[in-house]
Amino acid sequence: MKAEILFFAALKDFFTAKQITDIEEHINVSQLKEFLCKQKPNASKIINVSRVSINQRIANDFEVIPNNAIIAILPPSSGG
Amino acid sequence: MEHITNNKIELTNIVPSIPNMGGYVLFTGIVRNINEGKIVTHLEYEAYSELANQMINSILQDCRGKWDLQFANCLHRLGTLIVGEIAVIVSTGSVHRDEAYQANRYIIDRVKHEVPIWKKEYFQDGSSEWSKGCLHDSNHE
Repeated sequence: MKAEILFFAALKDFFTAKQITDIEEHINVSQLKEFLCKQKPNASKIINVSRVSINQRIANDFEVIPNNAIIAILPPSSGG
Repeated sequence: MEHITNNKIELTNIVPSIPNMGGYVLFTGIVRNINEGKIVTHLEYEAYSELANQMINSILQDCRGKWDLQFANCLHRLGTLIVGEIAVIVSTGSVHRDEAYQANRYIIDRVKHEVPIWKKEYFQDGSSEWSKGCLHDSNHE
């Protein structure tokens, strides 16, 4: 299935800011991270400490990605 | 309410007029010229704006549940900021000062640790670097 994935900050050195990606059906957040780490091994360190949001809500590692989700990979932030 | 802006944050006429508000605390986060020994020329802030706005709104709601406040707000700027410019303001008002101080600290700490806003520092030597962020807070709140 297709998912829109948004990347921010340091992850934009490895991925484009917004991309439509084919991912397997019924994978969870943790499996999505593994998939992205395999795509860009050099980004693994950041991906592994990033939070993931699904449709503008922070998701936990075990949440299954629904169809047509907007996913955002959120590196550790430091606002302010 | 919008908590993320691309516009310069100005402090003129910012105190809200609320008759029973006896204490008003304003925190400003300002771009400084040095970090970890390197001279900073400017910063860039970016955010997942929609989620950042929602999360700041939620933090302000939590804050109002903890303290009796007459006023609470937070505004964070994005884009390119030079040294001395204001990146973020948190303003809180209460009948007496104590709650306004406590609530203000609570808001800025949570915004810095949780909200998806990223800072890239540009240094005088031509290098640049994304802020490492708060790694210990990268789990799921």
